[in-house]
Amino acid sequence: MGKKTIVPIGPYHPLLEEPEFFKLYCDGETVVDMEWETGYNHRGIEKICESKTFEQVFFVVERICGICSTSHPFAYANAVESIGGVQIPVRAKLIRSIVGELERIHSHLLWVGLAGHFLGYNTVFMWAWKYREPVLDMFEIITGNRNNYAMFTIGGVRRDIDETKATELLKVLDDVKKKTDLLVGAVMDDPVIHARLKGVGTLTAKDIHDFGAVGPTARASGVDIDVRRDDPYAAYDMVNWKVITTPEGDVFAKAKVRLLEMYESISIIKQCLTLLQKETPGDIKAKVKEIPEGIGIGHAEAPRGEVFHFVKSDGGNSPVRHKIRAPSYNCITTFRRSCIGGTISDAAIATAAVDPCYCCTERMVQVYDYHSGKHMMNAAELIKFSQQKTEELRKKL
Amino acid sequence: MNIEQYIIDIKDKFPDITNVEVINTKRLMVYIPQSLLPKITDYWFNELQYRYVIVTAMDSKDGYELIYHYSDDSSGWIMSLNVLLPHDTPEVESMTSIVYGIEWIEREIMDILGIKFLNHPKPERFLLPESWPEGDYPYRRKIRKEDR
Amino acid sequence: MGIKDLSFKKSLWVFHLSAGSCNNCDIEILDLLTPRYDVERFGMKLVGSIRHADVLLVTGIITKKTKARVLEVYEQAPKPIIVIAIGACPCTGGIFASGYNFAGPLDKVIPVDAYIPGCPPKPEAMLAGVMKLLAPPPPEQANANK
Ligand code: SF4
Repeated sequence: MGKKTIVPIGPYHPLLEEPEFFKLYCDGETVVDMEWETGYNHRGIEKICESKTFEQVFFVVERICGICSTSHPFAYANAVESIGGVQIPVRAKLIRSIVGELERIHSHLLWVGLAGHFLGYNTVFMWAWKYREPVLDMFEIITGNRNNYAMFTIGGVRRDIDETKATELLKVLDDVKKKTDLLVGAVMDDPVIHARLKGVGTLTAKDIHDFGAVGPTARASGVDIDVRRDDPYAAYDMVNWKVITTPEGDVFAKAKVRLLEMYESISIIKQCLTLLQKETPGDIKAKVKEIPEGIGIGHAEAPRGEVFHFVKSDGGNSPVRHKIRAPSYNCITTFRRSCIGGTISDAAIATAAVDPCYCCTERMVQVYDYHSGKHMMNAAELIKFSQQKTEELRKKL
Repeated sequence: MNIEQYIIDIKDKFPDITNVEVINTKRLMVYIPQSLLPKITDYWFNELQYRYVIVTAMDSKDGYELIYHYSDDSSGWIMSLNVLLPHDTPEVESMTSIVYGIEWIEREIMDILGIKFLNHPKPERFLLPESWPEGDYPYRRKIRKEDR
Repeated sequence: MGIKDLSFKKSLWVFHLSAGSCNNCDIEILDLLTPRYDVERFGMKLVGSIRHADVLLVTGIITKKTKARVLEVYEQAPKPIIVIAIGACPCTGGIFASGYNFAGPLDKVIPVDAYIPGCPPKPEAMLAGVMKLLAPPPPEQANANK
């Protein structure tokens, strides 16, 4: 093998918002190995949770990751409620599902925007984020905040969705649906995007099993898993929807799964709203006296895959051990298979395809010359590299 | 899935299993001695194709508990393997040769609890800062001795 | 007007540094670039390197591992530079203040010019904060300063 070059991606660059640090080992244009340096974002949340009461933990877990600020409370609620055997009212179940699916829509829109930017389609970035705003407004109306919703509590939810909010929500959904059509058209019919994404960063079903990857990453490789269907929680067994899978495993497939999932989310919310009208208003919380001794394991399907919470209680006020596994923890390791053998210009989009969330995983990326250890390229340049490739392709077609 | 039958079968297959317990709806905990870990991991992960989820490590009264979580997605059950390591010799075989993705969490447990994973391909610091003192593990219970 | 005021009068270039955040503050900053808020109309722009920046935005708690990096970034910054702490995390530590990996609020590490609290602060609040920092002081105050 010839001279190897190390390409550091990160640690701080403008568009992957979090600190992250990958080292790509390159031989010419080809990536031959990959390494991570981690811990920049490690905040010791699991330990902090042990010093809070069961109710307070909700506000901590919601701040693990800003985008999944429903999914973590969801999984935690599932865990704690299973220890106490708490039955939550139907209305609360429906509201939980509605908030969860709204979050999926906003997260997928965010991803489409960022992926567009990586490819040099800044228009897609601006569009997708513009269409995301009405969803955030809806969050503000329903929960009182654009992010970090503070919606969940043990035994139910903290705020009701009344008739006015429901009508408003329906209007926004119709709007989002139209915009999704537009984005789907823009992505699916563009020859440049096809040329750029097909066959890039492919993961086989075996890779997925080896790393335990979850969510859209797994579903795009034909692995048919979704916690919402396999181990139904909240209202997901009361409505009709389907799990989107596709067998190809490349970046294009991941984009397709995410875009089509948005339609499912819209349909789930609509069905939930219809069911909500039949329930008595105001019945949103079960009375919970105490959490007995025991072990609770809860999981929930976040936009990026399965969130897993393990809670052990000794009958006191706060958990004695709280283990949290975010989906990115298992998905990021797959970069090892998806990037190696590809070119550097594809590395940016192959890593972005997983929609990595470093805050969840507590991690950081960088490119050095293997021999001199000299800094060769930073992430901004890497993205530029990727954008140039799209530009060249566009000219050719 | 018929869980009673499953428990009988797995006890037959691995007579060394100490205890099997259904801890909650759709949650199974299997208590095993350390020596059984590679065999049962191989059976679950490769033969039954269970999905690897994560490992929870805990400092409890009688030792360090390692809980390996796997998920059977066809039925929605979460299967956990519970291994108890003594406080004075916290050592266990690394499972990286069977489950490829387990590398990160084993390094993390090394950091936070000081458990040694034998034959781990890269036993380096993972989460804690460089300046963190050696031999100080944030998740170990400091007052344990008085407790006992 | 000194050279310092002059250099901050128009068209601020912003560098964004996430120390150990939960992502929300960072996303809200990016949100400022997108059509609804569009900070570029004030001439503001996110830049990829601290060496080009007039303003340093810090989000998230300062963890023990990032502390050295934050200092390094601050040293590389061309002076004078405005440092803004965005969100409850860099201001005080917020909900993570009791964590074992917390290295203290941002103003214990580098000098801070403005604090924008909130978890996360709304994009409007961030805009208002920056504008207040840049606006000339009201006349009474200006007189008092004389
Ligand atoms: S201030 Fe709040 S929203 Fe911002 S990074 Fe900290 S926890 Fe997240």
